[in-house]
Amino acid sequence: MASAPSNRASTSSSSLSSLRQRPWVRWAAPLLLVVVLAVLPLVMSEFVNETLARIGVFAVAVLGLNVVMGYAGQVSLGQIFFLGVGAYVTAYGVTNEWNIVLVFVLACLVPAVAGLVVALAAARLGGLAIAMVTIALPIVGVPLAKRLSEYTGGSQGLSARFAEAPEGSGLFDDQWQLYIVLVIGGTVFLLTRFLVRGKYGRAFAIVKGNENVASSMGISPYRYKVLAFTIASLIGGVSGFLYMVVIQYTSPETMSFGHSIELLAAMVIGGAASIVGSLLGGAFYVLVPQLTNQVDASLTTLLQGVILLVVLFVLPGGLASLPRALTRGRRRSGAERGAAASTTSPSSTLGSGTSAEEPETERQGHA
Amino acid sequence: MNRHFGARRALGIAVASALAVAVTGCGGGDDAGRSGDAAEGAPSPGITDTSVTLGITTPLSGSTAGPGTCTVAGVTAYFGMKNAEGGVEFGDGKTRTVEIEALDDGYDPQQAKANYDQLKDDVFAMTAGLGTPTNRAWRDAAIADEVPQALIMTGDPLFSDTEESPWQLGFVPVYQNEGEAFGELLAASGEDHKVAILSQNDDYGAGYVEGFKSAVEDADNIEIVDELTYEATDTSVDAQITELAASNADVIFNAMSLVPLVVSALQKAQQLNWKPSWFLPSNTSSPGAVLEPGGGAAFPGIYSVSFAKAPASPAFAQDEDVVAYLAALKQYGDYPDPPAFPHCQWSWMVGATLEQAFQNMEEPTRDSFMEALRSIEGFQAPLMLPDTAVDTTQDGQPAVSSVVVQKYNGRGYDTVEAFE
Repeated sequence: MASAPSNRASTSSSSLSSLRQRPWVRWAAPLLLVVVLAVLPLVMSEFVNETLARIGVFAVAVLGLNVVMGYAGQVSLGQIFFLGVGAYVTAYGVTNEWNIVLVFVLACLVPAVAGLVVALAAARLGGLAIAMVTIALPIVGVPLAKRLSEYTGGSQGLSARFAEAPEGSGLFDDQWQLYIVLVIGGTVFLLTRFLVRGKYGRAFAIVKGNENVASSMGISPYRYKVLAFTIASLIGGVSGFLYMVVIQYTSPETMSFGHSIELLAAMVIGGAASIVGSLLGGAFYVLVPQLTNQVDASLTTLLQGVILLVVLFVLPGGLASLPRALTRGRRRSGAERGAAASTTSPSSTLGSGTSAEEPETERQGHA
Repeated sequence: MNRHFGARRALGIAVASALAVAVTGCGGGDDAGRSGDAAEGAPSPGITDTSVTLGITTPLSGSTAGPGTCTVAGVTAYFGMKNAEGGVEFGDGKTRTVEIEALDDGYDPQQAKANYDQLKDDVFAMTAGLGTPTNRAWRDAAIADEVPQALIMTGDPLFSDTEESPWQLGFVPVYQNEGEAFGELLAASGEDHKVAILSQNDDYGAGYVEGFKSAVEDADNIEIVDELTYEATDTSVDAQITELAASNADVIFNAMSLVPLVVSALQKAQQLNWKPSWFLPSNTSSPGAVLEPGGGAAFPGIYSVSFAKAPASPAFAQDEDVVAYLAALKQYGDYPDPPAFPHCQWSWMVGATLEQAFQNMEEPTRDSFMEALRSIEGFQAPLMLPDTAVDTTQDGQPAVSSVVVQKYNGRGYDTVEAFE
C-alpha cells in the first residue's frame, strides 16, 4: 500500500537528479527563475506584489542576521537596529532631496560603520557576552531616535515617498517597488551566497566551530567575527533602504527590541546558515502575522507563538530542512523494506559528505 | 552540492510565493485600487446597495492592546446595535448594514501599513485605529489611493490639517486642545497662581505646553515659575519634582504620558510635602490606575479634561446613553467586562459620527463620504458630556476639539466651571 508511492517518488527523484546533472539544466534553472521573477510582478495583484516586496525586505534583514549568527556563530540581537539606521538614513536623505544613489550608498555605509565600531569592541568578548552587547543596540536606538528629533522626526517618525514608478514605464507603483526589491535584494542574496561559499564562508564556519582550531590554522577569530558583524550590519542597512522603498515610513517603533527577537525567530525558523532559509524566514516574518490576523485578530500573538513552537518541534533545522527531512523519512521507510536503498545512497553521501550546513543548522537550535 | 542547493533554492522560492498567494487569497484581476480613477459616480470599493465595510488597523496585541481592543469594540458594538435595528439609512436613500473588518498591528508601523494594503480594496473607509506612528505609516499611501482615514485615535495635529491630509480626520482632541482648556480655566480664576511645568520632551509634551501657554499668555495672574522636561525613556522624575517643589508653585502642569511616572511623581511630591494642584492629561488621569496608587486625595485638586461620560461613575449609572452603550458593548462588541479605557467610549462616538456622515452622503463614493464627514457641526454624540460636541468643519481641528475640565472628587471626576 505505502510502498508504491514511495517507490515512485524515489525513482522520480533519481531521474530528477540525473536531469539536474546536465549542464543546460544548471543554466536554465536559474534563468527560468529570473524570468519568473521578472514576470511575476506584472501578473500578480497589487496586494500580492506588496506582500512579496515586504517579504523581500525582511528576507534581506534575516540574511544579514544569518551571516553573523548562522554562518559565523555569533549571537546578535541587534539586527533591527541596523535596519532602523538604514531606514532613517534613507528617509533623511530623501527628505533633503539628495541623489538617490548617494542615499543608497550612505544607507549601506552608515550602518556598516556603526556595526564595525560596535563589533571592534563586542567581538573581543566571547560567547553570549556579544549577545548582551548587541541587545543594547535596539534598546539605545529607540530613545536615540526619539531624542535626535531634528534628524529623525522624533516619535512622529519620518515619511518618505520616493519609489514611485517613473513616468512612461507603464508600471504601477507596487510593481516598480517589487522590481527594486527584487534587483537589490537579489543582488545581495547572490553576493552573500558567493561570500559564504568561498574562502570567507569556510573561515566563518571554522570560527563558529572552534575558535582555537581557527587560530591554529592562521584564521584570526577576532578579525572574522568583526568582518561577519560588519557585513551583517551592511546588509541590515540595505534592508533598511528597502524598508523605506516599500513601507515609506520609519519611526522609533521600527527598531523596537521585540522586532529584533522576531527577526531572530524568523531566522531560526527559516533555517540558520542557509540562504533559502533567510528567504523563508522573511516570508515567515511577514506572512504569519497576516495569517493569524485572518484567523482571529485578537489572538495574533498567541497563534504566532503556537506556530513558532510547532515549527521548531517538527523541524528543528528550520523550514529550509523540510526537503531533507522529507527525503530522510522516505529513505528510512525504504531502508526498512531493504529496497530502494541503492537509489538513495548517492544522495545521502551528497547530503552529509559535502554539506557542512546540516549539523550546524541543528546545533544552532541550542545556541 | 551546488546543484543540489540550487534546486532547493528554487523550491524554496516556489514555496514562498505559493504561500504568499495562498495567504493573500489570490487577489484576482481587480486592480481598482491601483488606478484610483474609477468612473465618475461609480460606487467605491467596499460598498454595495445593502452593506458597507469599514476597516480598522489597531494594536490588539502587545503593550497597547488594552486601548486598542477598545477602539474596535466601541464602533463594532455601535454598528452591531444599528444592524440589529435594520441598518443605517444613507443619504442616497438606501439602507445598509455596516460591517467592520479589524486587523491587529501590534503598534508596529510596518504591520499597520501591511494591514492597510490588505484592506484598502475591500473596505469603503478606514477608521478608528489607535496610534500616531501606526497611522502615520500609511497616511501617504491613503492619500495617494484616495482612501478615507477617518476619525482615527491620535492627538497628532497633522491628521487634522485639511491641506496636508485631505483624506484624513482625527477624532480625539489634539494635545493642544487639552492644555488650552486647562489654561483657560486657570486664567479665568482671577487669583494669582504660580505654575510649574513638567513635560515629556517630545511632540506630546510640547503640544500640551503650547496649548497651555497660548491660553495663559495674556493673563496677568498666571506666572510660570519653572519649566522642566523629562525623556519618555526616563524611569524616574524625582529630580525634576524636587527642583519644581523648590519653586513654591501652587499649580503643576504635568504633561506626562506614562502612567508609572505619574504615580511616582504624585508620591514624590507628597514625600517632599509639596501640595500643589495638578493638571494631568486625559490618558494618564484614570482614578483607579493613577490617582489611587499615587495618593491623589492628598492634593487640593487634581484636574484633567474629558469629553466622554465615564460609565463607571455613579453619576452616570442611570444615564440612558450609558445603559444602552454598556448593553451593546456586551452584546455586539465582544467586550464583556466594564470598559477599562476611555477609548471604548470614544470608539462608540466614532460610530455615531460615522452614522451622521453616512446619512448625509449623497453618493456611495469615498469623495461624497469625505464631503459629508467634513460638514458635521454641533453634533452631540451619545456619551458626550454637556458643552462638548463633534464639529468637523474647522480646519486644523479634529472632530472633537471641545473638552471640559474635570476635578477629581476622591472616586471619580466632576466637571468644574471654575478653578477652586
